[in-house]
Amino acid sequence: MRALSLAVAGPLLMVLLWEAIVRSFGVPVYVLPAPSAILLKTWADLPKLLDGLSMTLFEAGVGYVIGSLIAMVLAVLFILYPRLERVALPALVAMNSVPVVAFAPVALLWFGSGPASKIAMVTMAVAFAVFVNAHQGLRSVDESAANLLRSFGAGPLRQMALLRLPAALPSIMNGLRVAVVRSMIIAIVAEMLSAYKGLGWTIFEATQQVDFLRAWAAIAVASAASMVWYGIVNWIDQRFVFWR
Amino acid sequence: MDGPADSAAPPMLQLTNLSKTFDSGHGRLVALERIGIEIGCGEFVTVVGPSGCGKSTLFNILAGLAEPDTGAKILYNGEPRMAPELLGKVAFMPQRDLLLPWRRVVDNAILPLQVEGIPRAEALKRAQPLFVEFGLSGFERHYPQQLSGGMRQRVALMRTFLFERDLTLLDEPFGALDALTRSLMQRWLLDIWQRHQRTILFITHDVDEAIFLGDRVLVMTARPGRIKLVLDVPLARPRPPEMLTSPEFIALKRQVLAAIEEESIKSFQQVAEG
Repeated sequence: MRALSLAVAGPLLMVLLWEAIVRSFGVPVYVLPAPSAILLKTWADLPKLLDGLSMTLFEAGVGYVIGSLIAMVLAVLFILYPRLERVALPALVAMNSVPVVAFAPVALLWFGSGPASKIAMVTMAVAFAVFVNAHQGLRSVDESAANLLRSFGAGPLRQMALLRLPAALPSIMNGLRVAVVRSMIIAIVAEMLSAYKGLGWTIFEATQQVDFLRAWAAIAVASAASMVWYGIVNWIDQRFVFWR
Repeated sequence: MDGPADSAAPPMLQLTNLSKTFDSGHGRLVALERIGIEIGCGEFVTVVGPSGCGKSTLFNILAGLAEPDTGAKILYNGEPRMAPELLGKVAFMPQRDLLLPWRRVVDNAILPLQVEGIPRAEALKRAQPLFVEFGLSGFERHYPQQLSGGMRQRVALMRTFLFERDLTLLDEPFGALDALTRSLMQRWLLDIWQRHQRTILFITHDVDEAIFLGDRVLVMTARPGRIKLVLDVPLARPRPPEMLTSPEFIALKRQVLAAIEEESIKSFQQVAEG
């Protein structure tokens, strides 16, 4: 309880300081609006913002799920078939070292300005993040534990199900956590480049129309959604990976 | 109760000419050299030797996890076996308990049964009566990290016993326990062994433990690992703890220590020259 109140106290203090500075120095809105003003604007624009949020969350969420699934399947296959890993891993690492956003124009060209292009990019970003962690986790299983299972007569599949996957859960959850932030960032940035709807699009459009307060309201909503999502993944982690 | 020598049955395990050489970057290391062992059905054989004498390598081979050099002969239940064929045929308990932290005590214990494809309900039914015997009743639903070292070791032993195989390999199961817990566990293990009639090969570096538990003690040398001495332990069973100070026990201990001493000096000199 104390830890929680401290965790809340920090950000609250920051917001209060922000409010105080903006008010006492009369900072203009286009530089930095006061938190209270952002909050009021968010409330006033809520239906429209939620509409944008639902699009952004849809893109980020679908990409997150598909990307995670691809990553898990790849990581498991690589462990089960080391030969496959030797062939494919260097190519994957090379691809991963190019920032996903650099592919954005191509993705827009291929999949259009609708949600498909954002989903494709989020999928890619998430897949890399989760894959790297899952692969690492599946690999670094205690060799003696694997030997114990072998001595019980367990083949590679049984070892995977009974030992490797559960032992890799902490790493996999780390990947899933990192991927939350990544997928929100990618979805929003991609929307800024070209979209019909979404929070990224709202932010871009608002700044074009010199409506900075609306841009900040969209940023606030995006941050809040990202934090809630992150919190959910964190909760799942603590609840189910209790042994770490 | 003494060994199988009196019966005509073939030994359960017969090793002849078993060597193991490791090729490292710095040259060849002979871990085991021409090991020959015979273990009869229901026998409790202990292996004692200095650290680095290849005891664990021997166990890895017997569990099917490593292959010996060519020329080795392994007869298991009278049948010749290649080392990998022993996977799933020998109950092996490594030095560390290796309990899985995400599984409750009961689920750790039935792990080998699940590997065999036995449904959980059936496996639980088999495990149930053992909890009292292994001093774990009431802790079935605990997680390993909630248990003391001695209890964890008993869970690991129970897991090994549930994997019912003709031969059970125990690699220093009590090595990490304090002296009091250890002596309790030794008597408890003897009790379990006598009731379940298992054949046990038991590694230790504790001479008292080797004599107290074994029908026979094998003393191993270090680098290359060889069998230096095979000593029958004619002490009556059940063995009370007072036996540790009896003249017969001391006499046996003297023999084992003398054999080990000679070896330790030799390996110490090797290091010094090294």
